[in-house]
Order: sequence, then C-alpha cells, then structure tokens
Amino acid sequence: MSAKTRGTPAVPMFRRLMVANRGEVAVRIARACDLLGITPVFATSTADRDAGYLRGRETVCIGAARSPQSYLNMQAIVQAARQSECTALHPGWGFLSENPVFAALCEAHGVTFIGPPARAMHLMGKKTPAKSAMRAAGLALIPGSDGILDSAEQAREVADRVGYPVLLKAESGGGGRGMRIARGPDEVASAYADAQAEAIAAFGDGRLYLERLIEGGRHVEIQIMADRYGHVVHLGERDCTVQRNHQKLLEESPSPSLSPDEREKTLAAAVRAAASIGYVGAGTMEFLLDHGTLRFMEMNTRLQVEHSVSEVRSGRDLVVEQIRVAAGHPLSFRQEDVVLTGHAIECRINAEDPSANFKPAPGKIVRWHSPTGDGVRVDTHVDSGYEVPPHYDSLLCKVITAGATRDEAIARMLAALGELVCEGVPTTVPLHLQILRSSAFRTNHYDTRAIPGL
Amino acid sequence: MPVKNFVLDARLTPPVLRARLAAGPDGRQRLLAPGVGMFRGAPDPGMLVGPDQPIGILEILGVVHHVLAPAGASGLVVAAEEAPRGLAPARRPVGFDDLLLTLDPSATRSESAANQAGPAAGAAVSGAAVLRAPTSGRFYVRSGPGKPAFVSVGAVLEPGQTVGLIEVMKTFSRVLYGGDQLPARARVVRVCQADESDVAQGDPLLEVEPADAAGDPNTKPHLA
Repeated sequence: MSAKTRGTPAVPMFRRLMVANRGEVAVRIARACDLLGITPVFATSTADRDAGYLRGRETVCIGAARSPQSYLNMQAIVQAARQSECTALHPGWGFLSENPVFAALCEAHGVTFIGPPARAMHLMGKKTPAKSAMRAAGLALIPGSDGILDSAEQAREVADRVGYPVLLKAESGGGGRGMRIARGPDEVASAYADAQAEAIAAFGDGRLYLERLIEGGRHVEIQIMADRYGHVVHLGERDCTVQRNHQKLLEESPSPSLSPDEREKTLAAAVRAAASIGYVGAGTMEFLLDHGTLRFMEMNTRLQVEHSVSEVRSGRDLVVEQIRVAAGHPLSFRQEDVVLTGHAIECRINAEDPSANFKPAPGKIVRWHSPTGDGVRVDTHVDSGYEVPPHYDSLLCKVITAGATRDEAIARMLAALGELVCEGVPTTVPLHLQILRSSAFRTNHYDTRAIPGL
Repeated sequence: MPVKNFVLDARLTPPVLRARLAAGPDGRQRLLAPGVGMFRGAPDPGMLVGPDQPIGILEILGVVHHVLAPAGASGLVVAAEEAPRGLAPARRPVGFDDLLLTLDPSATRSESAANQAGPAAGAAVSGAAVLRAPTSGRFYVRSGPGKPAFVSVGAVLEPGQTVGLIEVMKTFSRVLYGGDQLPARARVVRVCQADESDVAQGDPLLEVEPADAAGDPNTKPHLA
C-alpha cells in the first residue's frame, strides 16, 4: 500500500466504502476495495438484492427496482452510507456519477464522494461551459451553439448558421442518450422534442445544445488521472469509433488512425487543460478525429465503462488510484512512469437480440462461462442462474484482450468470444465476431457512420 | 423546494411516509420500511394499529419522517421474534423493505376482511378480448407527461395502431394493436394498466370488443 506513495507521510485510508451502483460496475469497485483492504457496502435495489454478485457482501436495500427510486435516489443512498458507517462513496459510472448535487449531498453528510471536486464536475458536466474552458486551454472544438438552447426555434437559427446536418445533444447527457440528428431545417423541431424527452427520462434534465454533425470522423478519447496536489497524467487514448446508436460497442487502444504528431500534441494539451481547471480524479476527454484533427466534444468527469482498456495497456488500476486520490494520497505514478505497451481491445457484450434489431432481452441466464487465457480479462457480474432484470441497461460483461500488436489482440478476442457461453438470453457476441472478422475493421477502413462489417 | 419568502417551521409539518404492506405467515401482515433510515418509536406489542395510524419515525439524513400504516393494515402489534432484551437501541438502521412491524389481523377480522377484498383481479368483461404485453417492461399509456393517452375507453382500434409504449432497459418501443385472437377493428372496453406501471410479458394491457364484422385475423401483436 505504501510502497508507491513517493515518501509522503502516511495518509489514512477509508475503512468502509459505499458502492452506489450495480452489476459489473459494483463488482469492479468492490475488487478495488478488496485490494485496498476496504469493506465495500453495496447500495442495492429490490431487483438486485438477491443477485449472485452480492452474495456474502454487506448490502443496504435503498428502494424499489426502478432506478429513480433506488440508484438515482440521492437521499436514500447517502442515508444508507451514513447508517452503514461508510466514510466514502464510489458512484461508479452512469446513474449519479456526474451529478454535482449528489456529490455535494455526500460531502454535506460527511461522506467522501469519489470523483472530481463539485466545482470541476459542475463545469465539465454541463457541457457548454466545458467547451469554453477547453477552448481557452487550447483544444480545437466542433462548431455549434454558444450554450444552452432556449427553444426549438433557436436551435433552428443556430443550425442554419453552422450548417446541416446538426446534432442536438443533452447538456447532462452521456452514453448516447438524449441525442438526435437533424439533416434539414424541417427536422430540427422534431429532433429537439425527441432529444429533450429522452434527456428528461434518462437524466432528469431536458436542456439541449447543438453541434454541427461531423460525419465520417473517428471517436477518440483521452484518459486523464489527477490528484489534489496538481499532478495530472494521461494514460493514452482509446478509439471508440465502433458504435451503434451512439452506444459504444468496441473500444481499442492505441487508436489505429491517429498520427503520432497529433497524438503527442493532443495528449499534452489534454493534460494542460485538466490542470487548468483544477481537475482531480479520473476523467475522460472525448474528441472527434476530423480529417486528422482531434476536436474536443466533452469531458466525462468519471471513470468510463472502457477504462479497463487503458488499465490493460498501462498496468495501472484506475479504481484503486481513484480511491487513493480521494483519500488524499498523491498519484502513485508520474507521467514518465506510465508505459503504454501493446494493443488492447474491449468488446461490450449486451443482453440484446441482434436478430430482432437489438431488442433488449432480459431473462434468466441458464448457463454462463467466462473466457480465460493469456491476455484475456473479463469484467462481469453475471454467473450461471443470474436473472437479467428489465429495469437497467443490458451490459452483461466486458471482454478485454491484449496483444503485442492489433492483430494479436484481435485474434485473442476472437478466441475469447468463441469460448464465452451464455445460454438463456441472446447476446451481441455474433455482432462482435462479425465486426472483428470484417476486412473493414482489420484494415482500419471505417468511421462513425457505419459499423464495420455490417 | 421552491424558496418562499416566509419561514415555515418544518417541525410543525413533518413529512409523512406510508409503510408498505406485505402478507406474512399465518395471515399476518408485515409492515415494511418505505425507505432507508434510522427507525424508532414503534408501537408496543399488543397495541391496535389501523390505516393511517402512526407506527414510528424514520430519520432520513437527520430529517424526521412520520411513518403511517398503509390502507388495509389492521391488527394487533405482534412482538418481534428476536425481541432485544435489556438495553434496546433507541434507533435502528433499516433498509428499504425491511420489516418494521408485524400485525395480527385476527383480532379485527371483520374490518380487515372488508379492506382486503379488492376488485376481482383480471376478470374480463364477458365477450371481451385481451391485448397482452408483448414483453416485460414499463408500460406508458401516453407519449409524454401532459400528452393525451394513445387510447381511451370507447376508442376504436385498427391493426398497427399504437396503444402505448413499453420501456425495456431504457429503450422505448411502441405497442401496436393486432393479433390472431383479436378482432380486426375493436373498441376499447377497459385500459388494464395505469400509466408507468411495470408489466410482465403476457399481462393484459387492454380489453377490447369487436367494433364491427370480423376482418383479417392474421396480424400479430408486436413491437415496432
């Protein structure tokens, strides 16, 4: 524990930590807690309380199955942390992880929120101030509205100015929810209404902004880690171009499309930008690779689903680092200690039916087998007999493979996905196999417009 | 909370929560915690509890909430099985759905029987056909808050017409009218589900009756 603290005096560590999330996220956080000798206490809904991943763990039931009554119920979660004597809370990703009100509520009740300071979260979580701050720090941006749109009429004016097609995006958005494309002036009003309705349902915030839609770019993001003493490091980039309905399917690092010059320049600029806003903890800056230029889109003030790709390449445990930083430790490594080796790929396996237009498929998993082997990592909460509840997202597991080269990582992924067994619910494994085997993916000839191989 | 320009002493109007009612063994009633918090002030064993009566106090983040018995709750408080002897803690932490009190309704049988007799569940109007949920999820009768319902009693449906939305894992799908067992043109007799209710696959959504002579029966219920 103290081996890498760079000679600083001992800083106390949390004893009990509330895991305010479910499924694969909760399992991932608990693994880090176990490494650090912290007792995790799981906040759980009635739908999850009997799930296998909570067996033998301390739990507090916080509400009914629907997430507004449980995983989005701030008072219940903080009260659960208090009465189970947790001094820290990890929100994971999704749910309340980017909610500054929740972070403030935790702090007000003496529970350390594991994430950036509420100030940085507020600045970057609300996407339009984030863009201004990043412009000031020297990052390139996508043309769009100068802030929140008041109405569909204003959206139309801005769209007319920046040129069609345009993308309407939720100010509090993430994970592809609350986004709609308008290809012409007559589509703006309906796209605005649809995006707003989805944003209210998913995030409780219907505010929207607008950007010109850059078609044919690549989605590249940079992993940042910072401590509260002003040290900021990056852990390289990830390419998340393979998406379906703005939901990432497959992520890899390094990006096979990025030139070494642009990579070096933007990684350095991203570190400077994070330092300039006083960022603390784990964060991700998302960019669109537009004809060789990385244009800043947004910053996620949390760990992301695909953080494991960067963990595999760097050999650093980002959740452990997050918890240590929140407890007041300095980063356990400097930029020059971060050695990114080989190539890593992650496939997200969802309980969806590829033959029925990816309809979510809740149900009971009769038999489950996780792949194993050299260079294979599986993050999952699923086991034989697990019942996929209909209330939450459909992620079953993440399979991450590493290799010396991209081809080796792909070969290992193909073998791993062939080994994965999931009986009872349909999964997206066939889709991933199709992508990985396609020549478009193998030769890196694809962009955000289409899934390679489909 | 909206900011008001006068000060209201919150202690005068503490928020109220209603306990959840569940059936226990031997016809007993279990009153379950409506939220997470520190619980105290439960009535002593042997006391009579009825609907809307206070059964204790739940402190949530330091805020006192009065917990009331729900409608249908009625009976004598039964002593907890693992009754703490000696110094009992003043407050105990409870999670959502944790047991607060057990009631024995046999002492007040006549009253509780009347309360428990609900409407006959799922009894279809004679001659009516039922449109069932094609998948499990949350059923919405309208496209958004404040929007009109897709269908109402008396409306005439045709195959392919939207009757509601089902949300599964945050993905919304339209529920379209149609099916082998259903009349081609139908009049809605009853909307079986409230807005935003959780439905299981096969749960009734609508009861309908033929609106005119039978048409093509070959359409199937499906999600758009």
